[in-house]
Amino acid sequence: MESRYQQLYRRMALTGLAVALIPLYLVGAAIYLYFASSLEQNQSAQLQNLAVNRSSAVQLFLAERTAMLEALAHAASLDGLTTPGELRKVLTILNKRGQSFVDLGIIDSGGDHLAYEGPFRLESHNYGGEPWFEETMVRGVHVSDVFLGFRRVPHFVIAVRRDDRPEPWILRATIDSEVFTRLVRSGQIGLTGDAYIVNRGGQYQTPPRFGGEILAYAPFSTTIAPPGVNVVSRERADGRRVLTAFAWMTSKDWLLVVDRDPRESMSPLQQALKIEFVALLAASLLVGGAVVYHTRQLVGRLASEDRNRVATEAQLAHSARLVSLGRMAAGVAHEINNPLAAIGELAGLMEDLIDEQFLAGSPHAALFQENVRKIQLHVDRTRGVTHRMLGFARRMEPHQDTFNVNDVATEALSFIEREASFRGVELDRRLDPGLPMIKSDRAQLQQVVLNLLNNALDAVPDGGMITVSSHATHDSVVVTVEDNGSGIPAELNDRIFDPFFTTKAPGEGSGLGLSICHTIMKGLGGSISFESAANEGTVFRVQLPRTQM
Amino acid sequence: MAINVLLVDDETSFVETLARRLTLRQFAVWQANDAETAMRILADNPTIDVVVLDVKMPGTDGLTAIKNIKRRHPMVEVILLSGHATLEASVGGMALGAFDYLLKPVRIDELVYKVEDAHRRKAIQEEKIRSLRGVTPPESNEQKT
Repeated sequence: MESRYQQLYRRMALTGLAVALIPLYLVGAAIYLYFASSLEQNQSAQLQNLAVNRSSAVQLFLAERTAMLEALAHAASLDGLTTPGELRKVLTILNKRGQSFVDLGIIDSGGDHLAYEGPFRLESHNYGGEPWFEETMVRGVHVSDVFLGFRRVPHFVIAVRRDDRPEPWILRATIDSEVFTRLVRSGQIGLTGDAYIVNRGGQYQTPPRFGGEILAYAPFSTTIAPPGVNVVSRERADGRRVLTAFAWMTSKDWLLVVDRDPRESMSPLQQALKIEFVALLAASLLVGGAVVYHTRQLVGRLASEDRNRVATEAQLAHSARLVSLGRMAAGVAHEINNPLAAIGELAGLMEDLIDEQFLAGSPHAALFQENVRKIQLHVDRTRGVTHRMLGFARRMEPHQDTFNVNDVATEALSFIEREASFRGVELDRRLDPGLPMIKSDRAQLQQVVLNLLNNALDAVPDGGMITVSSHATHDSVVVTVEDNGSGIPAELNDRIFDPFFTTKAPGEGSGLGLSICHTIMKGLGGSISFESAANEGTVFRVQLPRTQM
Repeated sequence: MAINVLLVDDETSFVETLARRLTLRQFAVWQANDAETAMRILADNPTIDVVVLDVKMPGTDGLTAIKNIKRRHPMVEVILLSGHATLEASVGGMALGAFDYLLKPVRIDELVYKVEDAHRRKAIQEEKIRSLRGVTPPESNEQKT
């Protein structure tokens, strides 16, 4: 099962990441959307300007040509123009500035050619029924839509009527559709942009770049374009989504259509998006890393503090148990001591009296003396036990005592002597008699030594050996407890002083003994360490600072 | 000259036996089973040198008894004897003027040694006071077992 620290870590890390990264991503998205929208607006405005500009250029082109023809019709006389060779000269002069006129024709009011100059054989044709002819006769000046005409080639004409004679006559010119188409196509942008003209009926007046011939019908109705200049987004015939500017011309009933694929001009946006993505990724990694690192540190510290708290609580509980055990021991010792004192004194009195009173000279005197001596011996033994119990009880409270560490070791050894003897374990005492007195908490040190002795007793096999030795260095007093048991596996070295760590069977050890020893030694300003070799045994070394007496 | 000792303990059997043993060792011994009786005996017998006092007794306990004894008979030495000798009680007793303390059950030799020691100190103290006042020691009173 996942530990609660892992759960806490995950929850804190996720919350931290959410709090740090969500605003970052929101800001990133907002910047992107704002940038995209402003770029689109910019594109739309650019396209509108382009359409207005191209529309003006086309209208200027037509107005210029119309004006040239009007000026010619007014400046020159019909006779002059119909003079053979004259029209050719005029066409040459007109085409000196831009090769935009294909031919010129002078037509009488009946629709017949009076003169013609151009590459086609049109002199014999009558234009009486042609729409452009009728329009010109009615309006005086006319720019036609594109039509096939007699030559069966798409073209358009500009015609002006002159009324200086009883019968009006018409000067007509065909406009070079290549020149005109080039003019319109100068509005094409990029690889996918297009620019063309359709008339009110939807027929192409210049060929579009994609999917359409001149005079074919555009796939949309011109009614979708309101008057003036408008930019819309639409799907083109080739399936591409484009931004289209529709510009109705004012001088001619033509619609200029300019469109472009917005994606083509979105490369700055793509670039910005890439930069933003990299920046966001870097920021995410940085923020994420920091959040994860700090959360890990925090949860680690929390877990470590929890472990310490649990160990402290366990030690407190352990100490509390020892204190109550001590009180109980004191109570028992007191209850035993009073009758024991009486027994001792009674036996003592008997001994006192044997020599001097009625048993002197009795054959049983020796036996009496021996038995009284034995009673006193057992009283002494029992006294030793109760005094130890009282000492134990007293020493459960924190104290600062002055004592010899050898006495502590000897006393602790006396607690395990019986079990050691029962199991045939040899207790080897190598206590340095010249050990200096130290000032420390005797009871706590005794608890440590007793704990080490108990552990050693558990570690050695029956018939094994435990060696307790002491010595002094220049700044400390050292007690070692050595056993010839199975040793501590090297991989457990780091955990041996951890609370609740035990190698004993469940229920046999709390796993607190060495942890408490470690805490006690730290509290006393000393230290505890160990060395162990597999199948050779373990040596625990307890070190206490020497104190100035 | 015998040392005059007053034994105070609520365990009658103990105090009686101990009294006999001390008597056999040439001490003059008085007995009491509580602090009140002890104070009476002390008032009646100003020659008592040493009081061996149980710390824990019903009624007035040993520590209160030391205070009373030291207030009324400052020269009398007190040895505390206890089956419940916590360090606090003993140190408390020492601070109140006890000569020393012993844990029950006590070896007779140890007790004899301590009583003699206490008596020595008392004698030295009295000698000092006499030399300061320039007076002679009073005759010792009747002894009692």
